[in-house]
Amino acid sequence: MSDQVLRLRPPRHRVDRRAIMWWTTRALMTTVAVTAVPAVPAVLVEPIRSWFLLTTAAVAAVGLAVTVVMPQWRYRVHRWEVTDTAVYTSSGWVWQEWRVAPMSRIQTVDTARGPLQRVFGLSSVTVTTASAAGPIEISGLDHTLATEVVDQLTETTEATPGDAT
Amino acid sequence: MSPNEEEPAGAWQGLSRLSVWADAAVGVLFTAPVAIGLTIGLALAPWAWWWAVLPVPAAVLVLAGTTYLDLLRLRAVRYRVTDERMEMRSGLIAKAYRSISRERVRSVDVAAPLYARVFGLCTVTVGTGEAAGAGGSEQLQLQFVTAGQGEQLRRELLQRGPVPEAAGEDGQSGSEGEDEELARLDPRWFAYAPATGATLGIGFGVLATLASINAQTGGEGWEWLSGRFGLPSRAEISSFIMGRLLLLVPGALLALLFLGAVVTLAVAVETWWNYRLIRQPDGTVRLRRGLLTSVSLSVEGRRLNGVTLREPFVLRSVGGAEVRAVATGLSAGDDEKTAAKSRLSPAMPGKLARKLAAALLRTTGSPFDPAPRAHPRAALRRRFTRAGTAALAGAAAAGGLAWAHVQVRGPWSGIWSSVEVETMGVPLTSGAAEGAPVWGWFAAAVLFGAAAFWYAAGSYRNLGHAVHPHHLVVRSGMAVRTTVAVERSAVIGWRITRSPFQRRLGLADVSATTAAGEGQYTATDVGLGQGLAWADEAVPDLLAPFVERVEDQDGQPERPVLP
Repeated sequence: MSDQVLRLRPPRHRVDRRAIMWWTTRALMTTVAVTAVPAVPAVLVEPIRSWFLLTTAAVAAVGLAVTVVMPQWRYRVHRWEVTDTAVYTSSGWVWQEWRVAPMSRIQTVDTARGPLQRVFGLSSVTVTTASAAGPIEISGLDHTLATEVVDQLTETTEATPGDAT
Repeated sequence: MSPNEEEPAGAWQGLSRLSVWADAAVGVLFTAPVAIGLTIGLALAPWAWWWAVLPVPAAVLVLAGTTYLDLLRLRAVRYRVTDERMEMRSGLIAKAYRSISRERVRSVDVAAPLYARVFGLCTVTVGTGEAAGAGGSEQLQLQFVTAGQGEQLRRELLQRGPVPEAAGEDGQSGSEGEDEELARLDPRWFAYAPATGATLGIGFGVLATLASINAQTGGEGWEWLSGRFGLPSRAEISSFIMGRLLLLVPGALLALLFLGAVVTLAVAVETWWNYRLIRQPDGTVRLRRGLLTSVSLSVEGRRLNGVTLREPFVLRSVGGAEVRAVATGLSAGDDEKTAAKSRLSPAMPGKLARKLAAALLRTTGSPFDPAPRAHPRAALRRRFTRAGTAALAGAAAAGGLAWAHVQVRGPWSGIWSSVEVETMGVPLTSGAAEGAPVWGWFAAAVLFGAAAFWYAAGSYRNLGHAVHPHHLVVRSGMAVRTTVAVERSAVIGWRITRSPFQRRLGLADVSATTAAGEGQYTATDVGLGQGLAWADEAVPDLLAPFVERVEDQDGQPERPVLP
């Protein structure tokens, strides 16, 4: 191998910028929900209030830190690319994942949009193969773009021979 | 045999009528002792006499009811095999209709538990390999059909396209002549059966059950036994135990080992008796085994995408191994059942297991033989870091226990020993606390730390990956070393994951995803460049467009250590 080593090059496209807002909102909602667990007894229970307040502060601090850092980090990592022969994605933030699936092995392609994604005009594209390792998901795409991607994928997979297993 | 066998393909068939009798027989077997026991118990009880008359008629009523329901269920189930599909109707109230394409049939599993075999019946389970789709079960089960129907189903479902008439009708004699035998049971292999880590556990379980029975009867069980056979009383035994603690512990361990060996041996004999593995002329691999429950499993050759060589630590240390299938359509609900179903051999000598694996893969020169490529030294460093953390935790725990030990021996000794005498009858731990030195905890911690580092080095040495003409190979695991060979053409994608630690060390987990077996097979802690090169070599063109070659500026060492 001499001095040359192989590296993964990042997939060509970033996800939509609005995904940052989506991730932030999602993280904020989780933070509020989790912080409420020690916060409620902190208000109601008199004798050991200080302990509950301390826990509340700690949980809130961690949650807010994640809310600030995670979306930016994810935006730098999350990328996707669809070629004539394969789908290639990267995702995650602290733990990162790259996935490749060839067109000939794709079973189904669909879009999904939760209520929160709809607020930001976003969609997720899910690409399923026969593997138990789980589907490949490209989340945080602009809704119109997602539909186009699905159309393109469906067209290509139909044109590609193979029984997908 | 039964008239059903003469039925032309495509006609609707039902389950065997005898299955009602088989179910009823099992019902009687379970309810009769309960009913009789209750009758005797109630007759002895100081209540009105007519209580004692009730259990038997009640049991008969319940049995009649369930048998009637069973009969209705049996009438509702109909199945047929046409040229393209297998169809099944079932259900009394909620009617169900399932239809699967014969193309999708991956495996046919024919099982005959003892009570069904008495009636000449068997259960047929058809695996379809459609797990990835909607949640529903991916199996079609017929319980029970006659052995003739089962054999016919097995043959029909795994035949593709137009089959020569002769082979279809003659059945047995015509086609079995050309069967290739891959393996057959050698009774000497049963010697490997007790070589599991579970041996000790099972023996311990048996002793614990006996002890708990004694405790639940308030120690009367032992009193009764000792009164009858002139055995020493509890007080005598406890003083004997205290006097000979050093003799007792190894003695108990030996007893455990013996009990465990007996149980595991019995299980192995029941599971693997009559074991025979053959390949039929059409490529279907057929497994037969079982003493009380005879099992026959057929996997279509095309769906057998690879083989796993499994070597648990204890078995490995005596040179044994077992072979499992990596096939589509074998999954059965959860992972544990899937693993149980994919076993293709009992524990057998490693050399033979490797040979069998190569024969199953139809390759000359087993993919398991040449040493796989080693992983970078950083992978070893990662494992040492983990071992170091475990050793530190062990030392901390030892410190805590030593402190507790001093407390028990010092200020609390009187109270604790009286509590123990009250609950267990023997001042076991407080007696031991008096006898055992405090530094023992630290000696244990040192031993634990050494074991952790030994485990780390071993698990690094077991990491490996390779590419063969038709297969890719990954190996990992210390407690259970598994070597997996998967057909390169069965790889349906790649998944590369990196934790922050792996990114810092230039490592990655590179997984080949596949429809077969566990769904993905991973080269753990491989050098990123090394892993990508491996993936690119195994499945050319798939990964290539997404990989770039760069100058090695951070100089990650990719050379192997520890051969």
